[in-house]
Amino acid sequence: MSLFGMLGTTARALDVQRYGLDVVGNNIANVNTAGYTRRVVDFAAVPPPDRFSAGNGVEVLSLRSQRDRLFDQRLFDESPLAERQAAMVDALGLAEVSLGASGSSLDAALADFFDAFSGHAAAPTETTTREQVLSDAQTLASVFRSLSDRLTESEQAADARVRSDIDRLNGLTSRLAFLNGAIASAPEGEALQLRDEQVAVSVEISGIVGVQVLELADGTFQVATGSGRPLVIGADAYPLEASSTPPTGHASVMAGDVDITAELRTGSLGGLLAVRDQSIPDYRTQLDTMAHDLANAVNALHVSGFDLSGVPGGNFFVPPPSVAGAAASLQIDPALIADPSRIAAAGIASSGDNGMARQLADLRDAPIIGGRTPSAAWTGLVYRVGSDVHQATRELDSRREIVHQVETLRDSVSGVSIDEEAALMMRFQRAYEANARFFTVIDEVLQTLLSLKR
Amino acid sequence: MRTTFNTLFRNTLRDVQRTAADYARAQQVTSSGVKLQRPSDSPSDAATALGARAEVRALDRYRTAADSVESRLMVVDTVLSDVIRSITTAQTRAAAGRNTILTQEQREALALEVEGVREAVFTAVTTSYRGMFVFSGSNTTTAPYAKVGAAVSAYQGDATIVSVDVSRTAAVAVTLDAGAMLQGTAPQDVFASLDQLADDIRNGDMAGIDARLGELDDAFNRVTQAQSRVGATLSALPTELERLGQLRRASDTRRAGAEEANLAEAISEMTRAKQAYEAAIAATGTTQRLTLLDYLR
Repeated sequence: MSLFGMLGTTARALDVQRYGLDVVGNNIANVNTAGYTRRVVDFAAVPPPDRFSAGNGVEVLSLRSQRDRLFDQRLFDESPLAERQAAMVDALGLAEVSLGASGSSLDAALADFFDAFSGHAAAPTETTTREQVLSDAQTLASVFRSLSDRLTESEQAADARVRSDIDRLNGLTSRLAFLNGAIASAPEGEALQLRDEQVAVSVEISGIVGVQVLELADGTFQVATGSGRPLVIGADAYPLEASSTPPTGHASVMAGDVDITAELRTGSLGGLLAVRDQSIPDYRTQLDTMAHDLANAVNALHVSGFDLSGVPGGNFFVPPPSVAGAAASLQIDPALIADPSRIAAAGIASSGDNGMARQLADLRDAPIIGGRTPSAAWTGLVYRVGSDVHQATRELDSRREIVHQVETLRDSVSGVSIDEEAALMMRFQRAYEANARFFTVIDEVLQTLLSLKR
Repeated sequence: MRTTFNTLFRNTLRDVQRTAADYARAQQVTSSGVKLQRPSDSPSDAATALGARAEVRALDRYRTAADSVESRLMVVDTVLSDVIRSITTAQTRAAAGRNTILTQEQREALALEVEGVREAVFTAVTTSYRGMFVFSGSNTTTAPYAKVGAAVSAYQGDATIVSVDVSRTAAVAVTLDAGAMLQGTAPQDVFASLDQLADDIRNGDMAGIDARLGELDDAFNRVTQAQSRVGATLSALPTELERLGQLRRASDTRRAGAEEANLAEAISEMTRAKQAYEAAIAATGTTQRLTLLDYLR
């Protein structure tokens, strides 16, 4: 190779080393960029043009991302499970808070209610004890109604998040469709950044609703829900819709005209729907059963007693028409509120008798709510909610640990190591320096050659 | 395996967050003295605490009832003592009147004393406690006896005894049936007997006085029996209260075990959590500070 040819080869080598430094700089610059995969530059020796040449130096063969599809796929699979638990922990946490603190919630109201009957039994003709019974009964009914309201608010909060997640999902699927279109039309090797974002968006989508991700030959992602409803195909997105459904007005998730709410099991949407449609309604049913059975048990005794005037008693609570909604509508019979002497404390038509008040007080220990005492029924509900939150939290810890491990594995392939980049930086720097030195040497040789003429 | 900056960052951040959460929780337990902040902290402990709390409330209610019953029965006991004392006085006066050498003035004086006894018994048995007549059975708003002119009416209460629960298995009678106590199966009540005794003393009717003495003996026995029952209840109440107190302490201990923190343990745990937190922060500071860049010149 001629000396001038060597100058050209060296200039190209300098350019290649500079390119290597550029890649290192880009990797370091993106060390904190979410979803960024480390870029690796591949060099190749340029073969000699003839036998009188050692070679034509070096060239950049390709720039590629360090990516392992297995880890990406694992993230698509694990993220929805972790996000489901995270959403459940948040939503169930609200339901747990709505139960109130031990000793100042329904447990205290129940104890006060039965205590009031005990107090009334000790002085059945006293006006103050009658008024105490009414006051504590009204508090009890109010606590039932308030608990029911708070469970409804928890349900509504979960529903609001369902709607917000659907909006977010539609934004992401729309973005993924755009990326698919851009990747499909981008020249080879120029879509690395788009691919990074494509994977990051897909992981985010899978966190909202568990998805199946299929990578096609043109580099686009085809994404469908776990049950096979398409979300993104090529450059087309298929948005989901939140449709308010009577009687609750909660959002049903619609894919076109099809209600797919029941199909969504994983992802934050799956978790929120499970809490909104299963857990909280179960809690409410238990609460309603308590209110319904308690009201009926008290009424059954009260109607068989006698009031202060010796008149047979009426209902104590307004009889709940059904279990559903019993807690939300629990009320004291207006006749009692208007005239406390209508409280039927006597078991016989005698003003001073306290037989019925004693029996009503004894309901505290009677298995009147599905074979359990009122206190035990409340304890059962608190245990159930606490246990659900506890279980979801533990499951979340476990799922997060799995996601963490997968992310660590993915990072081990795709992540940017500052140490590694520093070493590479030094490597390219030294190579650049050596090539520059070689350039100087060739220049000096040329000077020597040119000086021969003088 | 390659360890990247982000791996280190995520690991250390997770460890710092976890130890910080542990530390915050340990601090909260120590400062509040409560280890059970939410049911989900320990669902089984939450259930235990709720059950124990309900039991404590029930036992407190029984203790309150027992206290109230005790004060009420002490009033009843005092009244019965007064009745017994009055009947004894009447018996003494009857015995004094059963003497043929008494002058008419002396008989009249004794008869007046017997009539005074009748008034005393009437006043005693019409005693009310917190507005309730305790000798009228369950008819506590009506006095057991009323004055009809100078005479005393027939028993106006009923035979139903009002009881108050002092535990799940024990109830205590807090009213008495004065009709059964002052008359029983006798043809006339104590008031009629005392009226008639006064007349018999005035008239020097020895046979009548003997008959009245017999009636007063029977009444004395019935009242004494009633007082014995009240006394027995009163003496049993402290034992019942003590038993309720023991049950309450046991339930409260169970509740505290489930809900409250062992302070020594909590402080020790807080110290451990603080050290773990500090170690995590120190480790983060060290690992995040070191890179190869520090050594390249």
